[in-house]
Amino acid sequence: MATPVIMPRQGLSVESCVLTEWKKEVGDRVEKGDVLFTYETDKATFEEESEVEGVFLAKFFEEGDDVPVLTNVCVIGEEGESIDEFNPHQEGTPEEEETEGEAAQPAVEEIEEEKVEVTETTDTGDDIIKISPRARRLAEKNNLDYRHATPTGPGGRIIERDMEKLLAEGPVFTPAAKEGYGDMPAREGITGTGLGGRVTTADLERAGQAEVEEKTVAEPEFEDVKLTNIRKIIAESMHHSLASTAQLTLNTSFDATNILSFRKQVKENREELSLENITINDMILFAVSRTLLNHKDLNAHFLDDKMRIFKDVHLGVAVDTERGLMVPTIFEANRKTLNQISREVKARIEECRTGSINPDYLQGATFTVTNLGTLDIESFTPVLNPPQTGILGVNTIVQRVKEVDGELVYYPAMGLSLTFDHRAIDGAPAARFLKELKTNLENFSIIMAK
Amino acid sequence: MPKSLFIDPREVRKAGKITFKEIPVNQYDNSLEDEKENFSTEDFLRIYRDMLVIREFESMIYSFKTTGKYNGIEYTYPGPAHLSVGQEAAAVGQAYLLDKDDFIFGSHRSHGEILAKGLSAIEKLSDDELLDIMKGFFNGTVLKAVEGKQKDNNDTKELAFDFLLYGAMAEIFAKDTGFNRGLGGSMHAFFTPFGIYPNNAIVGGSAPIATGAALFKKVNRKKGIVVANIGDGSLGCGPVWESINFSAMGQLKYLWEEGFKGGLPIIFNFFNNHYGMGGQTSGETMAFDILARFGAGVNPEQMHAEQVDGYNPLAVIDAIRRKKKILEENEGPVLLDVLTYRLLGHSPSDSSSYRTKEEIKAWEEQDCIESYKEELINAGVADEGKLTEIKEEVEEKITKICRLATDMDVSPRMNLTENPNIIADLMFSDEKIEKMEDRVCDVLIPKEENPRVQKLKNKVRVGIQDGKEVSKVKRYQLRDAIFEAIIDKFYEDPTLIAYGEDNRDWGGAFAVYNGLTESLPYHRFFNAPISEAAIAGSAVGYAISGGRVIAELMYCDFLGRAGDEVFNQMAKWQSMSAGVLKMPLVLRVSVGSKYGAQHSQDWTSLTSHIPGLKVVFPATPYDAKGLMTSALNGTDPVIFFESQRLYDMGEMFHLEGVPEEPYEIPIGEPDIKKEGEDITILTVGATLYRALEAAKILEEKYGVSAEIIDARSLVPFNYEKVIDSVKKTGRILLTSDACERGSHLNDFAQNISELTFDYLDAPPVVVGARNWITPAYELEEYFFPQPDWMLDAIHEKILPLKGHVVKNNFTNNEKIKRNKLGV
Repeated sequence: MATPVIMPRQGLSVESCVLTEWKKEVGDRVEKGDVLFTYETDKATFEEESEVEGVFLAKFFEEGDDVPVLTNVCVIGEEGESIDEFNPHQEGTPEEEETEGEAAQPAVEEIEEEKVEVTETTDTGDDIIKISPRARRLAEKNNLDYRHATPTGPGGRIIERDMEKLLAEGPVFTPAAKEGYGDMPAREGITGTGLGGRVTTADLERAGQAEVEEKTVAEPEFEDVKLTNIRKIIAESMHHSLASTAQLTLNTSFDATNILSFRKQVKENREELSLENITINDMILFAVSRTLLNHKDLNAHFLDDKMRIFKDVHLGVAVDTERGLMVPTIFEANRKTLNQISREVKARIEECRTGSINPDYLQGATFTVTNLGTLDIESFTPVLNPPQTGILGVNTIVQRVKEVDGELVYYPAMGLSLTFDHRAIDGAPAARFLKELKTNLENFSIIMAK
Repeated sequence: MPKSLFIDPREVRKAGKITFKEIPVNQYDNSLEDEKENFSTEDFLRIYRDMLVIREFESMIYSFKTTGKYNGIEYTYPGPAHLSVGQEAAAVGQAYLLDKDDFIFGSHRSHGEILAKGLSAIEKLSDDELLDIMKGFFNGTVLKAVEGKQKDNNDTKELAFDFLLYGAMAEIFAKDTGFNRGLGGSMHAFFTPFGIYPNNAIVGGSAPIATGAALFKKVNRKKGIVVANIGDGSLGCGPVWESINFSAMGQLKYLWEEGFKGGLPIIFNFFNNHYGMGGQTSGETMAFDILARFGAGVNPEQMHAEQVDGYNPLAVIDAIRRKKKILEENEGPVLLDVLTYRLLGHSPSDSSSYRTKEEIKAWEEQDCIESYKEELINAGVADEGKLTEIKEEVEEKITKICRLATDMDVSPRMNLTENPNIIADLMFSDEKIEKMEDRVCDVLIPKEENPRVQKLKNKVRVGIQDGKEVSKVKRYQLRDAIFEAIIDKFYEDPTLIAYGEDNRDWGGAFAVYNGLTESLPYHRFFNAPISEAAIAGSAVGYAISGGRVIAELMYCDFLGRAGDEVFNQMAKWQSMSAGVLKMPLVLRVSVGSKYGAQHSQDWTSLTSHIPGLKVVFPATPYDAKGLMTSALNGTDPVIFFESQRLYDMGEMFHLEGVPEEPYEIPIGEPDIKKEGEDITILTVGATLYRALEAAKILEEKYGVSAEIIDARSLVPFNYEKVIDSVKKTGRILLTSDACERGSHLNDFAQNISELTFDYLDAPPVVVGARNWITPAYELEEYFFPQPDWMLDAIHEKILPLKGHVVKNNFTNNEKIKRNKLGV
């Protein structure tokens, strides 16, 4: 009996994944553990390993296809076995009747040449974001960027309920991004000439042409590198952050003597006490998790007409990966020990770097910490991750002097840069948070005792 | 099927033979000298003049067509020119004895008939009558163009002569001042006050209509006879045969009541010019050899058929005199084969490739006008000088009128730039006239004594009582609702008649008319032959003559048999007459199921496509009665669709019950049958009930609330309620039992897309029947829209339903594939 391989569900919010590359072709021998194909959500790439051995009998999707999760992707079995019953494109198979509604996918003709023609007219490869007029209207009325919505309509169309969800839950990262997502010309700068100011295809083409003309004037030598999904998402969210909030940054530094010596102690007794390799960053995360609840406006989401104040601290930790910036969340950090935090952060960072992180970990943070200290940065302006109201940047340690008992003494000073949303919180309360954080970090052993 | 006619096997199985009487061929043998006792000199000369008027009129048009000039007048005439040069004697001879109460219906080649009939009517009308007619017609617009242009301003007949020439000419030149404001044109010009009824560009098209006019005259005891002027080629058309049979059907002789007995007062007058366009009828395209033979096969009277020499006006007058008498004695119908010849082509583009020059020359040598002129001189009625004088006067007159009719100031066209709605406003008469005439209705018993009326008193007039469905036998059904509206009207409008197949005694195949037989005499309610073209076409003639009529097609699938009559006649004569004619006609069309491919089709879309028809399709008893009442009070042709699935249906929505007294539901207003929030479902006809089932599942299983709108009418249609609904829900599914391709639902969907585009959350989705033949009843669920089709379509195209498992393929690929295959 042949075995179908389904597109796994990576996280509850994921409804479909893009099949990025086939590692096997029809007719190949497959051993247990062989990688069959790779696929990605908007945030991570995964490899699907075979759980059975046999011959790679059939594949039902092409590279680049957006495949609904739990749908049959390919079949492993022995030569000559029937694969028809597993084909998700076929109507009325037993498979289809057993699986949920998503399995009912467009029926593609069995005849090869027709298949090609039909595929051209299907929606999968379209270069546009599909949105119903009603959903677009709702977006315009509420000044929402519909590109943040998760489409649940037919053929990946954003429909009214998707905008309603976006409206209620804010523009969090969504699994909406698709190939070509970032190619959508920015809506600004396009003049609608259609009825009632509607933007017509011609308008879009004009805008596109204008762009081309500008470019051809200088004719620089360059290489076009297609943006990755993550780059597009980052670009989108960074721009959204700066465009839609009133953010500014406060800088300070603290005497790191205490935490450096604490780290030294931990290092020396690590094996004996079976502690993690606790880093300075872990300690800062710990201190932030213990300080934030006294400054509730910074452990919050700003939702235009209301503030959502969180009872626990869910810390976002910015991680630099080859694929770009990723921000996994340490949920309920305020309830976790330093050692727990340290262990969790390491695990998440590793998952981010390998691209295997569960997308559910990439959302839900209430405050973010980002660290450029290891790269010798002395001060910077972190960019908010809306609707969060604050983000703390951690800088490098520099030697500074201070006067102690009439003498100048050197001490290790570590910089902190707090960006906050002035719409949510004023300067003085934000500064008070920084001041308390500074005190806590300079007296780290005391907060450890709390 | 009347029980009074006993089919006795002992009689019908007896040996015997059918014998035929001789059919006269060109038996008229009088010389002009012989006719002097019947005609005065003036009469003889008037016949001559009238023939010349036609000849000159046709020559004028021919001249414009071929040279762009006529007697120094330049004019471009791009329209049709089917001229009757050569046929003048036939037209003038026919018209000579007819007055305004005698109706003629014509063909595409009828200029001559219009002029001859008009001149004859003018001769017989008094000056006062003529002035009333001319002043009253379009408020004197036509009259104004010719008023004061006569040599003698007190000569009303002269004025009327100019009026007739001008009205016809301006009509041919598409002028707003023409008899039909230019909307009829050359092939359709007519003027009812002179008894000139529509000429028809469809070959034989006048036969059923003229039959209906004759029916009107008989049923309503009107003066006059009816003449259907059709060509020899038209005898090849089914509707012509159907009409001949209809007008001679046995019941007229054997079953109709005293005072109404006898065939219809109609002459099927074949202007036999030997050609149907280029096809030579005798010897090539027809079997009859001599056309008049045809009458022998119709009835024992052989239709009093006769061939007459149409090249001699006096022979034709003689024939009409004899035939008119037959009709007045209720011995109709009559078939007249009037031999003639057209000297010009079918139209100016005709190169006469189908006949020889010798043949044309031979007929020219016997030209009807020239030979009559010779006879006038030989008999000493007039000398050459007098006859030349008449000819010059005619030429002068035609030139004068032509100058007026081609002048754009005197004779402008409709200004559609300034008044873009002129034609739109003429498409329907939109009047409410409860009775077409005010007199006592011919009925057999008082309405209260009608057995069906009494039975209905005991019915429960609502379909649900105390939450339970009322049983079929107890409830007032949709068929009762239609009956009630109709019987009420039978006791109100004396002109109302109804007919169709198996209507009397049987009560119609679906028992809608049960009980009508008891109330109505034959002449108001009878069984038609199985002749859908004659049924629909005669209804058109009955209505435009001034009566109200309900015709019935037993199955929608038979609509094709009445195609021309519904699409070209019923739909067009109100607007082509520029509002002169009204069409108070309801065509009941029953939409079947269960009986396979030729008895189960919903062809509403065919009728809605044709401008000029109102189209309704009620699905509830309350709506059926209200819409039928509106249709019967109105003056427009209404195609009234009824679903055989619903005849038993009780009233499930109007829970106060269907009122006993008459009430109207305006045609064109859809009705919200169930309110909802998330999706609109617009239904036509019987799919209403399946949509309700789908709505129930949507609500119970998926938490989606559906609003159901019953279209009730297709044409006209007020979108406002649908727009409001879609603005609210953002989504719409449309469904009906019509095959999806070309369905009117697509028209609805397109308009809704335009009207609510910015409010739509998904494109409007149409769920119709498959583009197949209708399979057997046992397989119908695969053909007609079902509730699960609606759910699947919603899931696939509008709003994915959580956890829904589809059973049918509504994907885009499937749609492309089906269309590629044409299924």
